Amino acid sequence: MSTKEFLTVSNLNKWYDGLHALQNVSLKIGKGEVVALVGDNGSGKSSLVKIIAGAQHSDDGEIFINGKMVSVTSPKDASSFGIAALHQNLGLVGSLNVFENIFLGREETRSIGPIKILDKKKMRKRAIELLEELSIDVPRLDVPVLSMSGGQRQCVAISRLLLDQVNLILMDEPMAALGVAEGKKVLDMIERLKEKGVSVLIISHNLEHVFSIADRISVLKNGRMVGTVSPKQVNRSDVVRMITTGESVDSDGATQ
Amino acid sequence: MSNSNKKVKTGAAGRADGSFSVDGLGITAVLLAIIVIFSFVNPRFLSTANFLNILSQAAPFIIMAVGMTFVITAAGIDLSVGSILALSTVIGFEFMSSGGSPVVGVMIIIIVAIALGLLNGVLVAYLAIPPFIATLATMVSLRGLALLHSAGTMHFGLPESVAFIGQGEILGIPMSVLVALFSALFGYFLLNFTQFGIYCRALGGNKEALRLTGVSVKLVEVLVYGFMGLMVGLGGLVMIARIDSTQATIGTASEIHVIAAVIIGGTSLFGGKGSIYGSVAGAVLLSMVANALVIGGADFFWQLVITGIIVLFAVLIGNLREGRISTVKVPSFLKVKF
Repeated sequence: MSTKEFLTVSNLNKWYDGLHALQNVSLKIGKGEVVALVGDNGSGKSSLVKIIAGAQHSDDGEIFINGKMVSVTSPKDASSFGIAALHQNLGLVGSLNVFENIFLGREETRSIGPIKILDKKKMRKRAIELLEELSIDVPRLDVPVLSMSGGQRQCVAISRLLLDQVNLILMDEPMAALGVAEGKKVLDMIERLKEKGVSVLIISHNLEHVFSIADRISVLKNGRMVGTVSPKQVNRSDVVRMITTGESVDSDGATQ
Repeated sequence: MSNSNKKVKTGAAGRADGSFSVDGLGITAVLLAIIVIFSFVNPRFLSTANFLNILSQAAPFIIMAVGMTFVITAAGIDLSVGSILALSTVIGFEFMSSGGSPVVGVMIIIIVAIALGLLNGVLVAYLAIPPFIATLATMVSLRGLALLHSAGTMHFGLPESVAFIGQGEILGIPMSVLVALFSALFGYFLLNFTQFGIYCRALGGNKEALRLTGVSVKLVEVLVYGFMGLMVGLGGLVMIARIDSTQATIGTASEIHVIAAVIIGGTSLFGGKGSIYGSVAGAVLLSMVANALVIGGADFFWQLVITGIIVLFAVLIGNLREGRISTVKVPSFLKVKF
């Protein structure tokens, strides 16, 4: 087992009431690597991501982190390994401002008796550092996130995950509800996560986005891993063919 | 994107929490307008003595409105405040008027009120009973208990030290007003500068998001109603000390008064954001209207009618401001062409 992979899943199986949703699925994600997971609805993408996030259990198979076999049975387990999931509703509170959202549940406080007073100065400073580090452009730190654009909110939600030490971020269709310019913001953000050495596993239907951001593309069909290809070596129609026919292509683009 | 040099703007200090935003200005403007109008209508209205009287009357409602701001911000509601007020004060008052220690008597009122508030919280958070139903049920049951305890009995004769809370003055300012001011400042601090305040706002804004961070949402919810209980105990104490009496029917319909003050003050009924300043101003506004009606010689029942109308207008303005109803549609035949 190579140790430069951050995460390796090996021969995962998952059944739902007799439906074999994941069939011996294996996947590797290197440090700072962006892997895109593509496939039709019901291909098992979300199940795979949920198992890695600890939100679901596999029935069979192994997960390795930095080469060591681990058991991920809860989101808490996952986060102890530095795996964080970006929730589809983003997990933001619309009426709270940017830094209140970033620190929600992990506030910097000083205690006076039973009352925990917020250290707003410290939180604000750390939030500014975090946002500048990721070049996230938000209009103001103290406006409710409800008043911000969809892309900005996505970026705030992602930077929330980076407050703790994080090695891998799981994203399920993060650009789905966004316009072109807003989607671009999220793509730029993923680029910067990569520069920071954070790995990303992203589910997306948008092959244009996938080709612009992913280092490798893994294709699932009916719960089986069709194959993993490099966007440099194949073109979009190859990937579409893999998605629809379930047949793998070699690096020259020819169907195997 | 070459925006790495862009600075994150942090905005003007003091506006970080939205508590002094346009909402606060709106209610202030309404208050000032009412003062001007009432003063023109009746010159007796505009006097320091009358203003202190208004504030003193408003004091118990200000204190309870501070608690209710937390409940409504957390997307809840508490209809049982009047009944909690009655039950806690009849028990504590009886203890004191029959020779019990004033300190213990005050503690009894506060602790009974907190316990009943926590009971509401447990019903809502752990038994998943919608706040409207849970507190409607306790409203009826607790009023029943207060009546069982002392139906038809008027308790009076508080120890002087306790009566001072409602009738005393410090430097010419009524104690009741000072207690209300302190409660409001404490509430403002708690809502905007503490972890509990953030959790209240998050609970009302996006419960699921708060739960996902690992915070015990249920515990926060119980504490919100417990804090409401504390404020009812304190408000009840001020109320009975002002009039030096209590009875099982005290505080009837005060929940409407308190909820009205909070809504008029701009706290969203849909949860997520609340304004302590607005709630205080709302409570003062309601007392001012009541006072003006009394001075003007109007029947007390008009006060009820007008309170209801003010609440409807306040919610309507909130809905328009937050875009929940589209602008009023005007039939085409009424549209004027220029």
